[in-house]
Amino acid sequence: MKRSNWMRISLSLVLAAVMVVVAACGNSKENGNEGSSNNGKSASGETITLTMMHPWTSPNVDNEVYKARIAAFEEQFPNIKIEQDGVAAAQYKTKLFTLATANNLADINVAWPGADLDPLVKGDLLMPLNDHMDSWNDLVREDALAGYNVDGNQLAIPTKRNFVDIIYYNKEYLAQVGYNEFPATYEEFIEMIKKLKEAGITPISLGNKEKWPLQSSYMSIIGQRFAGEDFLHKVMAGEAQLTDPEYVSAIAVIDELTKLEAFNIDANNMDSVQAQDYLIQGKAAMHISSATVDGRIRTTNEEGDKFGIALFPSVPGGLGDQKMAAGVPQFGIAIKNGLDEKKKAAAVEFMKFFVNEELYTDLAKAGILVPANVEMGDDISPYLKEMYELTSNGTAPVFDAVINTQAAKEFENGLQALTVGRGTPEEVAKDTQELIGQ
Amino acid sequence: MHTLKKTRLAIFVGLLPSLIIYVGVAILPIILSLYYSLFNWDGISAKVFIGLDNFGDIFQDDIFWLSVKNNVIIMLTGLIGQLPLGLLLALLLNRSLKGNGFFRTVGFIPVVISSVMVSLIWGMIYNTEYGFLNSVLGVIGLEGWQRNWLGDPDWSMLSISLAYIWQNCGLYMIIFLAALQNISSEVNEAAELDGATGLRKVILITIPMIRATILVTVIYSISNSFRVFDLIQILTGGGPAHQTEVMTIYMYNNAFLSRQFGYGSAVSILILLFSLIVVVIANRVGREKD
Repeated sequence: MKRSNWMRISLSLVLAAVMVVVAACGNSKENGNEGSSNNGKSASGETITLTMMHPWTSPNVDNEVYKARIAAFEEQFPNIKIEQDGVAAAQYKTKLFTLATANNLADINVAWPGADLDPLVKGDLLMPLNDHMDSWNDLVREDALAGYNVDGNQLAIPTKRNFVDIIYYNKEYLAQVGYNEFPATYEEFIEMIKKLKEAGITPISLGNKEKWPLQSSYMSIIGQRFAGEDFLHKVMAGEAQLTDPEYVSAIAVIDELTKLEAFNIDANNMDSVQAQDYLIQGKAAMHISSATVDGRIRTTNEEGDKFGIALFPSVPGGLGDQKMAAGVPQFGIAIKNGLDEKKKAAAVEFMKFFVNEELYTDLAKAGILVPANVEMGDDISPYLKEMYELTSNGTAPVFDAVINTQAAKEFENGLQALTVGRGTPEEVAKDTQELIGQ
Repeated sequence: MHTLKKTRLAIFVGLLPSLIIYVGVAILPIILSLYYSLFNWDGISAKVFIGLDNFGDIFQDDIFWLSVKNNVIIMLTGLIGQLPLGLLLALLLNRSLKGNGFFRTVGFIPVVISSVMVSLIWGMIYNTEYGFLNSVLGVIGLEGWQRNWLGDPDWSMLSISLAYIWQNCGLYMIIFLAALQNISSEVNEAAELDGATGLRKVILITIPMIRATILVTVIYSISNSFRVFDLIQILTGGGPAHQTEVMTIYMYNNAFLSRQFGYGSAVSILILLFSLIVVVIANRVGREKD
């Protein structure tokens, strides 16, 4: 009895194994069929599927442009399918590097320059585009390409220029406390915050739950104002320290703003989009964020002319150029290294279609700064013109594009601690400095 | 003897598929983590062997100990909050009550909905500007009690604990309910004949009768508390200023955000160790009384 049971079990196991094998075979056959049936439809052969991971999920105007461009490509090249993986911007980099760790990147990726590109370069994960640069050399500005050029290899093509430190302000609220112009000096700026506070208006809306805004939008430029535009590079080269007095006074700005209660009380529970809403809904007088959100705040907003833009005011005794904005050529499109020939050809095809003059013009029309020499035409929005002028006085580096990730994360946590009254600017500087270059 | 051997083999073959899966998704990653924890590794470039330095660094990091403290808070919340509340609800629902099924379902719903939803719901409840809690406090004239529930370091851990209790106590309610219904009616009747009613009956009869179940829920609640991640990640992300970080969040931040995979692996090994130690202690304490 036992014996026959055993037989039955082993028999069924063998059967199961056979079924798995058969199923697997059937699968591959099916794939083959699919390929050949498509052969009949299109001249160039089978359908190639490329995966693409991108951070274009939030309601920013540029995201729509990018996605429309992907759709246009799929329409024009029916035999290349783009399988999109849209990841919320705040989590995008985390997912990118986790996939990179497993050598599992999507075929086409969106990359950032500097400290965010380094690990991908070190792992040799991106395909150099050197042989295909004819399409972009004349179109894209050289200084923007340089950010994605490591050791002579062009690893990605940037699609937009972003400034991270634009101060959007509600003109009515500022006028209400006696300012028809945005204050030009730090003292006046602080004075204005006090007046706004007295008038019962939240001076600055901040959405710091994801922790990057204070690091990127605030400290990139405040640090530059106090310590100079080459300071962060010097820190990485070991020629300067974050604990140097001029940088500590830059961090102290966050402390001072906190003590003045300049931020909304729930700053650490909101993301940046909610903080933009606070400004748009009139719940705050100012919001500091990237040039991209100008689309939401002014270009596509019916009441857009209520808002003005400005840069961080000049600080007394600051070592940096007091007119600069902090920015970075963003959204570099990159191809994964080591694709097979067919996929590689398809991916290059995609790159050439996706990143071309039309993309840059579409972005510019939507009010986005682009790193390319494209004709703007006369129908360019006055808001974009204003943004161009505001940001045309030189570019300072963004903190986490220069400083290594681990130190940048420590910095973000330290800044967040300051906003809840924990720690001191000196401690934040010291803790971050200890992780520099690690 | 001969046949027994064969049966064993059959059992082994039967278990093999799930065993392979278990080894693949549970045992192997633990071994790999242990291996990675000895390296300084960003996940992409070459690993640098540093022995036990990661562990040394972790033990010297105040934030790690803060996260351990928060884990203990979550654990105690589970033990003191979820279990008694679950038992209380189970006792209430064990009577013949009108709408019994309805209340049971309501109590169990938080366990069924995904913890992302739970977190979002509680995020709305705690919202400072338009949140439910602050609005209710405003309506009943307790404006002074309104708080920035998740953003204020003094209150954030308490707020999270409350959400954690709500999320899980339904599960223990169902487990206790099943145990209560297993108590034979003779025992209950005998107790009632002897004059034991209400609280007296619960303490002297019911609780001793479901001791084994309580021990299981204690162990489960402890191991659950070491796994808590999504709730806190979505509610506060460990902020403000690390105040609500638990060990899993600390591990995630170090491994995936700061890209220190060696360091993160070392933390995960410690999480495993700590939870094993606590579970073993709880098991001992529970058994000694038997």
